[in-house]
Amino acid sequence: MDKSLEHSFVELLEKHQNIVHKVCRLYTNNQDAHNDLFQEITIQLWKAYPKFRGDAKFSTWMYRVGLNTAITLYRKSKRRIRTEEFENVQFKIKSEPYDDTEEQQLKLLYKAVHQLNDIEKALVFLYLEDKNYNEISETLGISEVNARVKMNRVKKKLRTILNP
Amino acid sequence: MDELELLKKDWKKEDQVYPKVSYNDIYNMILSKSSSIVKWIFIISILEFVFWLFISFGLKASGYNLELAGMNKNAGFIIISIFSYAVLAYFFYRFYINYKTINTTDNAKTLMENILKTRRTVKQYVFFNLVVLVIGVAYMMPYAINHDESSRVLLENAKASGELFKYYASIALVTIIGLVIAISVLLLFYWLIYGILLKRLNRNYFELKKLEV
Repeated sequence: MDKSLEHSFVELLEKHQNIVHKVCRLYTNNQDAHNDLFQEITIQLWKAYPKFRGDAKFSTWMYRVGLNTAITLYRKSKRRIRTEEFENVQFKIKSEPYDDTEEQQLKLLYKAVHQLNDIEKALVFLYLEDKNYNEISETLGISEVNARVKMNRVKKKLRTILNP
Repeated sequence: MDELELLKKDWKKEDQVYPKVSYNDIYNMILSKSSSIVKWIFIISILEFVFWLFISFGLKASGYNLELAGMNKNAGFIIISIFSYAVLAYFFYRFYINYKTINTTDNAKTLMENILKTRRTVKQYVFFNLVVLVIGVAYMMPYAINHDESSRVLLENAKASGELFKYYASIALVTIIGLVIAISVLLLFYWLIYGILLKRLNRNYFELKKLEV
């Protein structure tokens, strides 16, 4: 494969890697699984990269491939590249001072989101990433109306999980 | 405040808390092998094609068939052989075309549909082979009984003792039981392999389909 293509891809992904981390955060429950999914999304992005024409933003293109990998292609695997920084970071721990009540509420919210199914998580992810309903419908392959209806159901479901 | 708005506020702050994967680590990742279900479906499908091809060639090369060498000149048998190879070529072509349409940059529903379509092609091919197997056995059994020396002796004995019906019934029963066992083992294997492999995809696909109803 072309070295310059490899270089441009790795540089772009290094810059936008948080998108992949965020997908992994929603779809996995532990760091090993997170690393696993991160690697699979990276491979899928790389495989699709030669077809990336640049007419869409790299980040927008990443959302689609990342979510497709998480909800369709991903199989748990034991083979994975061990990364130094990756292994040693206890992520999701914040050092800044926080509001105890809000922190507690957030913890419950993240826990509730993890109880949603894969498609509901995808909707939540795109919503959190400020995607409009047109983009959500195009990413998932459903109509805009159905995306709105489903989003409202997801909100209701979250409320039910939080206040049983 | 809406629950998701609170989550969104925190989500935006999270940009700083993720570990940074280095250039070298990402580079190593792109050199590693994928373990996606598409790769597994491709491998298993190719194995299925090879398996049925092997069965077909294997049966032809077996001693059993040599005993029935005369049958190779039988017009019906030749037609079935040509037809089954033509069907193999057709299914393999369709499988290849469907596989090529799988694109991770499609929307989620289209991607799932294309994967399921690829899978369906191989499933149809396997179903076709099972039908051919049943027809082939039904077609071959009377031929074997009439041409195999030991079968002929048994047939003569059955005729002499007036147990012709019992003889045919027991052959039919053994053949049916053999076929049922072979097909059941095969279907169980499929159910296990694809049940595990496609469980998540099927679940998510039906969830998206449900939205469109």
